[in-house]
Amino acid sequence: MPEDRSRMDIVHGVPPVAITSTTTLANRTGSWKYIRPIYQDKVAPCNAGCPVGIDIEAYMNLLREGHLDAALDVLLRENPLPATTGRVCEHPCESVCNRKKFDEPVAIHAVERMLGDVALEAAPPAPPEQRRKEKVAVVGSGPAGLACAYHLARMGYAVRVYEADPEPGGMLRYAIPDYKLPKGILAREIERIRALGVEIRCSARVGKDVKWDEVAAHDAVFLAIGAHQALPLGLKDGGPGVLAGLEFLRQVNSAERPRLAKKTVVVVGADNTALDCARAAVRLGAASATLVCPVERGAVPAFHADVAEAEHEGVQLHFGTRPGAVHAPAGKPATLECSREDGSKLTLNADVLIAAAGEQPDFAPLPPDVKRADGAVRADDLGATSRTAVFAGGDLAGEPRTVAHALGAGKRAAVGIDRFLRQRAGEKVEADLAQLRYGGTGNVSATRWRGDDPVRRSGEVNEIVAFEQMNMAHFQHAPRHADRRRPAAERRSGFAEVNLGLPPPHAHAEALRCFNCGVCNQCEVCLVFCPDVAITRRAEGAAKFSISYKYCKGCGVCSFECPRGAMAMTREGL
Amino acid sequence: MKKVIMGNHAVSWGVKLARAEVIAAYPITPQTQVVEELSEMCADGRLEGRFIKVESEHSAMAACIGASATGVRAFTATSSQGLLLMHEVMHWAGGGRLPIVMADINRAVAPGWTIWTDQNDSLSQRDTGWIQFYCETNQEVLDTTIQSFKLAETVSLPVMLVLDAFFLSHTSEPVDIPEQAEVDAFLPKRQALMKLDPNDPHSFGSLTPPNIYMELRKRQQEAFDETHQVFEEIDADWGRRFGRRYGAIEAYQAEGAEVLLVTSGTVTSTARYVVDQRRARGERVGLLKVKMFRPFPTALLRAALAGVPRVAVLDRNISPGHGGIFAEEIRSALYDLELSRRPALDGYVVGLGGRDMTPAVIEECLDRSRKALQTGQTPEREDLWVGVKE
Repeated sequence: MPEDRSRMDIVHGVPPVAITSTTTLANRTGSWKYIRPIYQDKVAPCNAGCPVGIDIEAYMNLLREGHLDAALDVLLRENPLPATTGRVCEHPCESVCNRKKFDEPVAIHAVERMLGDVALEAAPPAPPEQRRKEKVAVVGSGPAGLACAYHLARMGYAVRVYEADPEPGGMLRYAIPDYKLPKGILAREIERIRALGVEIRCSARVGKDVKWDEVAAHDAVFLAIGAHQALPLGLKDGGPGVLAGLEFLRQVNSAERPRLAKKTVVVVGADNTALDCARAAVRLGAASATLVCPVERGAVPAFHADVAEAEHEGVQLHFGTRPGAVHAPAGKPATLECSREDGSKLTLNADVLIAAAGEQPDFAPLPPDVKRADGAVRADDLGATSRTAVFAGGDLAGEPRTVAHALGAGKRAAVGIDRFLRQRAGEKVEADLAQLRYGGTGNVSATRWRGDDPVRRSGEVNEIVAFEQMNMAHFQHAPRHADRRRPAAERRSGFAEVNLGLPPPHAHAEALRCFNCGVCNQCEVCLVFCPDVAITRRAEGAAKFSISYKYCKGCGVCSFECPRGAMAMTREGL
Repeated sequence: MKKVIMGNHAVSWGVKLARAEVIAAYPITPQTQVVEELSEMCADGRLEGRFIKVESEHSAMAACIGASATGVRAFTATSSQGLLLMHEVMHWAGGGRLPIVMADINRAVAPGWTIWTDQNDSLSQRDTGWIQFYCETNQEVLDTTIQSFKLAETVSLPVMLVLDAFFLSHTSEPVDIPEQAEVDAFLPKRQALMKLDPNDPHSFGSLTPPNIYMELRKRQQEAFDETHQVFEEIDADWGRRFGRRYGAIEAYQAEGAEVLLVTSGTVTSTARYVVDQRRARGERVGLLKVKMFRPFPTALLRAALAGVPRVAVLDRNISPGHGGIFAEEIRSALYDLELSRRPALDGYVVGLGGRDMTPAVIEECLDRSRKALQTGQTPEREDLWVGVKE
């Protein structure tokens, strides 16, 4: 239109070009449509793939928008130990990251670690103002127990944790060496849980230092005593010279580390415990550290990155090698006979022989009416056992033995206990598990349980968004940032942390690599592409944009173009 | 500032100095460097414009049309098959009176598949409602690019500036690049008379019944008529500011010529050399360069050619079934001259598909026309194709 209508230049009775003299607003093109677009936030695969159940997508988007504190809040709502998991979790979220199909997955672990480290410096949280009168006992302060205590405390419960060892943390404290998780980091994360009002009693082994009756006197109990009992070593004629892997790591993680200078160390086993035994031996000055691994390299149940790191540090690895007879006379070097798949033999001499054959729970402290099956306590999805008011989770309940799964189990039990206590108090509360779980299959969200999501969402559905639902035309390739690692030569001489993470600018750059799968991050592609200019940005309210259905003719271009699958075409409302 | 740059980059520099706001283009040999350079200028901030990558030339022109309709300065560049793919939307730009500027790097048309120069691609767009300029040197390319935006926006017509593939597009020459402030003074920001405005939506180019369609075409024709005078003024203004002007046509050594060559594009430079040589030998030959093809400079050509005994038009193009296109258009322009002042005209078809137009080829054309002048016998139709194997 002429900017100044008075200048409309009419000659021969016509303007210079074919243009309507009246506005086209009268033409309500919206009447043509038979389907219409809606904003429909879905679930990013990382959220569903996280055993802890974290709204990873949301904290990535908040970081993109520059809201560090809000990002931290979203993370801490679900994960009590981000600085820990940022270091030791294998991050299954990354293996389902949609970006993997475009270039490389987002380095979620590094972003989590960066946020976790920021949280360590932040002021400790205050206990919630709204208190509940019930008291809950948690037995065991490993990741499952800590998570349960943390979430219950945030819901207003008084929580007391009984820990058998002199310090809290369970496997995090006694099985994971400093080069993966410095003790100070863990201690500060546990301090944050204490700041919420959680009481942690150490050196309080139930059944020995504390009577079961004292524990059972609480309104509810969460059992998370883990699996610490070494399985039989599986070596013929084990003898007194053979050390159990977990026991060796306990020594490594104590104030008085074993002295292995000039010793020949042989470790038998395939899991993370076995690898850590061998890597710790290198650091303790062993003349040599050898891992005899009964399975092939590709089949080890340990983190594959750890295998490579062990190799760089000088651990000698024998894959597909089965240990046989062992001669371990007290006070003398042991001899281990091994055989390979091809029938060849290998004889190893060892001043120290360590066998990491796995661990099982010690059920002795538990009352008999807490039923068990297949070497684990039976517990339902929200941790309930066969005994009323007693819940269980983590390694004790046969969960996959990772920190993340334990944290997730602790959270589910906290939800289960909250539901149980509120129902007992006469409240009508139901837990729709499929709705509480990210994408229906992920872990439970504490935020969804409480119903206080700080993130504005539109038309939310609990469906995981697939790569094929997204539009890669709007993304550019950007290489993933690699963690900084201490050089192998430096690692061998001590227990300093190996993985140094990403410098904060690189961690922020990783947050910008996040596609925000399935969730509107206000990129405005819909607004730009709408051929009818029917989409406008809204100042407030749930939806970030509004669609004028008076003019939207249902062409679907907005939904098709949406880079992240956060729109859908529907017949609803027509 | 003088820089040694290739013709394609002379376009890019012109577009940058003209502060184009939207550039939408699809790459094609031999045009690619024009937009490659512009994409980098947009990426590194030397040019505050939006570069839109598209999936075809049709989309490139469509994007320019949309952008131009919102009142911004839009540019694209293409060549040969790309230009032909644009054909449908070329009419929308022309009929829509949108002052888009496009560089076409003259490339012959397939089949057989070719990347070398001739003018058939641009001349096949003759009737789409675009102004057309054919350039001879890299300096002229840069100057014409900037002038084109001013002309287009003054008369509300799109402009195509045309460069010979390789002979101009890929040849480096020293080019005087004007200061930005000087260009800004010559070419202020576009003031669009009509704008696409979502807050006051109107339909552009919608159904037009017979009772008004012809009037719209009449207005378009009047804009072309006006263009002769407007270009003259713009070119003169440019000359005052930068010391260079080109004219819609340019006569060279034409005084008293018995045979006058008519050329367009880079062959003009070769023809200047040939004419100089012949003049040194005392032959009365001259040259006329045609820069502007649409609107056709009928009046200027008539004035320049009236009374010249014989005209030899070199056409690097062919309208199959007729003849060289410049020759036929010039012949028609001269029709109204009284018989005694109307030149005889030989239309030579030369240099198709990138065939070299050497001084020898031009001399051959000159000699055939001089012979015709002496004998009074017009060359046979088959003698008008010069440089063709027997």
